[in-house]
Amino acid sequence: MPQRSVDRRRALASAALGRPLAGSGPVPGDGELLHAVTGTVLDASPHLIIIETSDGEEERLVVAPWATAWRGDTVAPADLPPGANVVIRALKAGRVVDRIWADATRITGVIQEVGPGARDRTVELYCGPHRGMRTVVVPYAVSGRLRVRHPKFEPGYLFDAVGVVEDGVAHVRLPTTSQPPYRWTSVPEPPLAYGGAQPHVSGTATWSDGFDFGERGAAYPMLESSDAECDEVGRSCARLPYLALGSALEVRNVCAGRTSVVPVVTCGCLAGRFCDRCLECGTSPRGRIAELSPASFVELGGELTKGCFNARITLG
Amino acid sequence: MTETLRTIAAAQLPVLSVLLALGTVAKIRTARGDRGLGGMSGLGPAVLVPEHWRAPVMLGCAAGEAILVGGLMATGHPVFRWGTTAFFAVATYVLWELRRRRPDVGCGCFGEVSAVPVGFRSFTRTVVLTAMAVGAVWAGPVPGWSVLAGISWTEGLAVAGGLLLVAAFSPEIEETAARFRHRAPCEERPADAATAAARLRSSTAWRAYEGSLTSAEPADSWRELCWRFFVHPGRGPDGEPVDVVFAVYLSGRKPAVRVALVGSDGRAVGTVPPPEPVTTADGAGGSPALAAHDH
Repeated sequence: MPQRSVDRRRALASAALGRPLAGSGPVPGDGELLHAVTGTVLDASPHLIIIETSDGEEERLVVAPWATAWRGDTVAPADLPPGANVVIRALKAGRVVDRIWADATRITGVIQEVGPGARDRTVELYCGPHRGMRTVVVPYAVSGRLRVRHPKFEPGYLFDAVGVVEDGVAHVRLPTTSQPPYRWTSVPEPPLAYGGAQPHVSGTATWSDGFDFGERGAAYPMLESSDAECDEVGRSCARLPYLALGSALEVRNVCAGRTSVVPVVTCGCLAGRFCDRCLECGTSPRGRIAELSPASFVELGGELTKGCFNARITLG
Repeated sequence: MTETLRTIAAAQLPVLSVLLALGTVAKIRTARGDRGLGGMSGLGPAVLVPEHWRAPVMLGCAAGEAILVGGLMATGHPVFRWGTTAFFAVATYVLWELRRRRPDVGCGCFGEVSAVPVGFRSFTRTVVLTAMAVGAVWAGPVPGWSVLAGISWTEGLAVAGGLLLVAAFSPEIEETAARFRHRAPCEERPADAATAAARLRSSTAWRAYEGSLTSAEPADSWRELCWRFFVHPGRGPDGEPVDVVFAVYLSGRKPAVRVALVGSDGRAVGTVPPPEPVTTADGAGGSPALAAHDH
């Protein structure tokens, strides 16, 4: 099917169906709005951090006294090296740094090959048709912790962890989910549709770094493969309705009580293969309902190192 | 009396053959299905063997059943009757073992239809079938086709009784009925874009706006919930370039089609009749997900 501009689809669909066109972005509610600021560190000191955004602009942010940073481990904001790519959770209209994640990467894929070795091991992963193959390093120090959550460390099984990029190589740091016990091709069927169509879908929302740096948006698993030009889409163990690139999702972080309207910008080919739960606050229903860009995830109150939050989506 | 019992026992041959034939077809379909080997991870005794053996085991089982069906129906040779008895006796043992070792998986007796974990009913069914097979051995060398060819009232009732007994112990029937009753609503079912395009071309909305289109080929098309949208370049009432958007409901033979003319600024152009309410055959009733957000 031809595709022109997915950005225009919402306006066209709203006109045809006679529904109001809502804007995207965080929905004001209880508590202060969070802002995600992304960029590359130019200079970091205990009270001020200077970053260069993807537009090439220089931004100076005040570091709050309670602010912490993560770069493979918890570090002081002043210890961040120049050149590190950061996602900052900022308060006060984006001027005050609350939390920093530096060089964080989400390693989600299907295990293809596990390298030999008794200490650090390399793992080759298939990360979906868009990202392709990726090789990551599992350091010996984290392998015990990782293997507890990933008991099937063999080809064909899913893998999901948060890591840090050091010298261009992704090093695994924290497992973010309990590995699904099935092979990636045998996703369980969604439950039967008792009660017909549902206005809200609950499940787990995760983040991924398969987006442009600083982009706001979501990857959604339930797209028609002819529309998304991706054969591996259209699978989910949650009962998700079909949407298209350009549709708007109203995502609510049930744990933090924050809501944001995010556009679907890519297909969540791998997100649909995970039939897991989020245990961030209570136990979520099974299934990944959206994979958010880091900026959208942070603005919804998610912690990149925790990897998920209990979410509810409404279709907008 | 003994003669009547023998007749009833012989009348179970068609019942056994029907079940074996259904089992063969369903197993082949599952093993060759689009979900491949991976989809069989929760099915039947195949999970007790290593992964690369699962499809061969399922196909081997289907082949064995096919041979037994042929033998039971075409000949009266005792080897097929004893074979059937042995098959169901082994199946009984395997289900017992399966229930003990993997209580989470289905019996796989009818391929992916039998995905409900093995319980009392699946187990009892194999016991009943073993008893029927023993009865067939005892009934003597009568080929299955001859039972069907010269069927009497007694035999007819016995066949029906046998089928009912097996049906009573088949959880698959309820499972299949539930799948039909609680079918996914339109929003969650895949829908073919070509069908929606064909329905659009045969609609009155298409005929009304066909003249204002500059191209019959859509410039963009996408599916959202239960609607498929087609965008065609066209001309507005004053001749200005506009996008003509058709929204086709994806359920029903004569679906609702809505249309709007949208200018380059994203605003609707001209007057388009108000959209008619959507009525659907499957009871989904428009698009509740959208309706919930429309207020």
